[in-house]
Amino acid sequence: MSIPELLINDGFISQHDREKIDDLSKRSGLSFIKIALNFGYISRKNYERSLLNAGYVFKEIRELPFDTEVLEKIELKFADQHVAIPLRIENNRVITIMADPSNQLFIDYVRFTYDCEPEIIVASDLDIVWLSHKLLGGKYVKSAVFELLKRDPKSSAFITFTSSQLVFIFAFLALIVIGLMINFKNTSITINVLISSFFLVAILFKLFLALVGSRFELHQAVTREDLRELKEEDLPIYTILLPVYKEDKLIKKLIWNLQALDYPREMLDIKLLIEEDDSKTLNAVRNLDFPAIFEVVVVPFHMPKTKPKACNYGLHFARGKYLTIYDAEDIPDTDQLKKIVSMFNQLPSHFICIQSALNYFNRNENFLTRMFTLEYSYWFDYMLPGLDTLDIPIPLGGTSNHFKLENLIELGAWDPFNVTEDADLGLRAYAKGYKIAVVNSTTYEEANNEPFNWIRQRSRWIKGYMQTYLVHMRNPVALWRKLGWKGFLGFNFFIGATPLTFLVYPFLLAIFISYLVFDLSTIRTLFPDWVLFMSIFNLMVGNILMIYINMMAVFKRRYYELILFSIANPVYWLMHSIAAFKGLYQLVVKPFYWEKTEHGLSKVNSPTNVVK
Amino acid sequence: MKTNPSKYLLPITILLGIYYLLLGIYLNRLGFFSQEGLFYIEKTKIVVDGFGDRLKVMGLTAPILPFYASFIFSFSKVTELFAPVIASAVCTTVLFYILANALLKRIEDTFYLFVLLIIFTLHPGILYAACSGKSVGMVLIFFLLFFFNLLKFYRSNTTFHVSIASICLVVLIFCDYKFIWLALFFIPLVLSITVKTLNLGEQESIFRLFQSFNNPSLRRKLINKTFALYVILFILPLACVVCYKLLNLTHAQDLNYFDESPYATWRVLSDKLSFDQLSTSSVYQLPETSLLISARIILFCPLILVAIYLFKNSTYQMLTLLTPFAFVEFLHIKYEKVFLAHEYYLIFLVLSLLCIVYRSQTIKNQQVLKLVVGALVLVQLYTGYFFLQNSSISEERAFSTILFNGSPDPKQEENRELAVYLNHLPDDAHVLIDDAIAYPVVAFTSNLHKLTLPYEGAFLSAIEAPDKYDNYVLLATDKNEVTGFTELNVKYVPIIKKANSALKLRRVYETNDWILYKVFE
Repeated sequence: MSIPELLINDGFISQHDREKIDDLSKRSGLSFIKIALNFGYISRKNYERSLLNAGYVFKEIRELPFDTEVLEKIELKFADQHVAIPLRIENNRVITIMADPSNQLFIDYVRFTYDCEPEIIVASDLDIVWLSHKLLGGKYVKSAVFELLKRDPKSSAFITFTSSQLVFIFAFLALIVIGLMINFKNTSITINVLISSFFLVAILFKLFLALVGSRFELHQAVTREDLRELKEEDLPIYTILLPVYKEDKLIKKLIWNLQALDYPREMLDIKLLIEEDDSKTLNAVRNLDFPAIFEVVVVPFHMPKTKPKACNYGLHFARGKYLTIYDAEDIPDTDQLKKIVSMFNQLPSHFICIQSALNYFNRNENFLTRMFTLEYSYWFDYMLPGLDTLDIPIPLGGTSNHFKLENLIELGAWDPFNVTEDADLGLRAYAKGYKIAVVNSTTYEEANNEPFNWIRQRSRWIKGYMQTYLVHMRNPVALWRKLGWKGFLGFNFFIGATPLTFLVYPFLLAIFISYLVFDLSTIRTLFPDWVLFMSIFNLMVGNILMIYINMMAVFKRRYYELILFSIANPVYWLMHSIAAFKGLYQLVVKPFYWEKTEHGLSKVNSPTNVVK
Repeated sequence: MKTNPSKYLLPITILLGIYYLLLGIYLNRLGFFSQEGLFYIEKTKIVVDGFGDRLKVMGLTAPILPFYASFIFSFSKVTELFAPVIASAVCTTVLFYILANALLKRIEDTFYLFVLLIIFTLHPGILYAACSGKSVGMVLIFFLLFFFNLLKFYRSNTTFHVSIASICLVVLIFCDYKFIWLALFFIPLVLSITVKTLNLGEQESIFRLFQSFNNPSLRRKLINKTFALYVILFILPLACVVCYKLLNLTHAQDLNYFDESPYATWRVLSDKLSFDQLSTSSVYQLPETSLLISARIILFCPLILVAIYLFKNSTYQMLTLLTPFAFVEFLHIKYEKVFLAHEYYLIFLVLSLLCIVYRSQTIKNQQVLKLVVGALVLVQLYTGYFFLQNSSISEERAFSTILFNGSPDPKQEENRELAVYLNHLPDDAHVLIDDAIAYPVVAFTSNLHKLTLPYEGAFLSAIEAPDKYDNYVLLATDKNEVTGFTELNVKYVPIIKKANSALKLRRVYETNDWILYKVFE
């Protein structure tokens, strides 16, 4: 009895299910077992139960010996589609590991390729996936790491500082030191004035952006009517990449969230990207006692161990027309994918990416989550739409950015050496003349609720901004030509200025507090009346405006209870400064190191994504 | 063929601007100078030509934005004396443009544009705003924008409009500090808006409020939302005022320097004159009685009744229109010894025009509406004239007299002549002047370097020992209405002689308000 018949016999799937699986198998090339286990038809537990009852024995296969000559004859994608892999030839029989021992197509393939009969060992599909990616995934993982570096070395963050950048930085520092030595007072005043003016311009620009963004807050990029016009049969395959690392606690939650997505199940190509050494997450998937609706892809070990590398690897197996990334804890609006399809249908072809808004479901958990919500509400509800309206490059958010797959590949995908690969990719897209749009749909994430975890995450972001800035400013003139003056200034303000602002902020604050508390006369000499006037004006107006902008954003989101927390922003910025210094240190010492953010710490679980 | 009035809007606006400008310059030539305008001219001179703590003058002269507007137009010696007039003409022109533009976006009917034109060319109050060199035009612009954005907010419910309204209020407050009190009267309004926007089955406002207060969840929502809306609307103005006060504290050692020092604002002296007039008047000034103010406003601007009618079915829009009434009544109680300036009547004119622009198309019977509006506009032209002519504030009366009679205003003649005398003093002469009250004289002088003024560090020493620093001292006579605001008045002579018996003072020039002494040793 074949495995499909066995499963029907045991009542785990119906005849109708089998017909649907066979139909999808014909269309996609995926084997029966791959579809049954990864498209929500049967849980792994039931599958194993059924096979065990039929007398099959599941074996541990990870340590089995293999023959590279045998492995050379099989392609990873084929092995992955059939959840089977031939390992070696022994006693004139091909030792073949299979999740579905009745998969005749694969058995025939083994017979024809190796000219001997297979000896089938039944194993868990997850172990087979793990082993096949480990043994056969070498070229894909190398491509994931080095493709961009080979194709477009100027856009890769593999080299952090170029020689000319080092010369410029040191020459600039030397100039300041010489200036301070020759005329300490005037040089200090000049630096003061430059920093003050810069701060003021940056803040006014942010206010302007917020106002531009808020102007379109009622604008629905995709309306309900647009969604109604969308026909189910016209929906393309949608790939969702879920890069995870040691997120075993979130797997169940992840399935609930994915199941809530309003998109035909067979048109979804969901890939859970698990690192080779992450047995925790793999076991969590193994232990699920209900059907999974995602496919596991195991990313073979290769440095750097970063999220973009995992995504690049997953990209090789993506089948969709569109692709997006979610984190394990993300709760996207249920109609998000349909909105994206509808919007891509409406937009001109040079729009290759659509960013959804990000916000937090655990916003009221503690001070940090509240501040994070304030920040994200401004960033995604006002600033990105503002940038979008003004046609300034959008620094993409870490998740929920939806790409056209072919254009993503054309761009060279994500830079595995960049720890804010999203922001970098957004810029590369703009530089090539592509555009990014913003959609009226939100993905709810888990706000970091633990200060040290927050600093780790933020230090990575800020380090990534520094990396991105250094990469794209290797040739400022060329960048200016590519992005235009608006794009160039926008890039300098948002990518370049952000880390700088946080690095300078504690010094300015310290000077101000010393001035207030100790009334130091030396400070007075560095701040003649007019500079003092300007600086105090900046400090006050700047802080007020930034606080106000945050208030506006939460007001728009109707999070009225958070409005007063905006006042705590100056304290929150100090935390940014700590993260910025950590990021700077890491930029020099270990630029590609990926500071892992712990997820699943929140005790809040609210289904905020249901679109009524 | 149908004509598109939008394309004529810009030329009409430009012509209107030229009309204001010519009228303003003509009145200027006839000798009309507002106290406010002269104050800005003097401060501009200090900022441009002075040496000393110019930054303080630049930053703490209040109201700061009208001063900057006037400052911008002082780009040459020719425009120096007209700068406030240019600023007020430009502001009033912009006000017209905003209203007309908003009108043409909503209504194609040229009747209302014609109404606007009539009011902006003939209404004495508007002409006062445009040609007097005062900040009224600027105040009206931001008052209009504040309410305009509020009305837009009611319709769109977007943060954009409420935050723009808030920014407009900030600017408005920095045009006239008294508008800070508007925040007080928005509390019931904001509550009303929140009650209205709560998702309740009940339609009647009072029952909605009752329901909201008696349900813990709704009560929390109501309070959070009311507070949030209030914060988003008023935190920015309040915070800006606090910051400005702190700047005053750090630079002038006084939180309210900008509002209470005659060196920072012209209002101190003008309020003092009102106070004197009210306290010494033997006849009880009935029109200024509190309860009658709202009635006077309706008489001045009957169009406001049409505006209220247009919003008859919307509770909080109606409340919004009533808020300025409460505000003006409050001003009258708070500043009881100060006459209500024409500016506070004009805000109702602008408000009523805004409501007509915003709402008139909702009325089905346009013929009747037009008839009423047309008739009331004519009435308003007369009441505008009447109110200005019979204003309690002498400056407003003087404007009206010059405008309608064409007779020269002699009020600044003495100051001008004194300034001419000072201009003809030798180049190395130094005159000690206190611009707390003598700013009109300083405004007319041509060489600021001859003067020792309070913004300079040497001023206090010069008062103590005028012979060491100056050759001349300008003192206010007893007849000068504001003589009490300066040390440099007739009481100064015996005091300084007592301190330095060798000092000799000789009168070299004398007017009704001033005596110029030459200092000898």
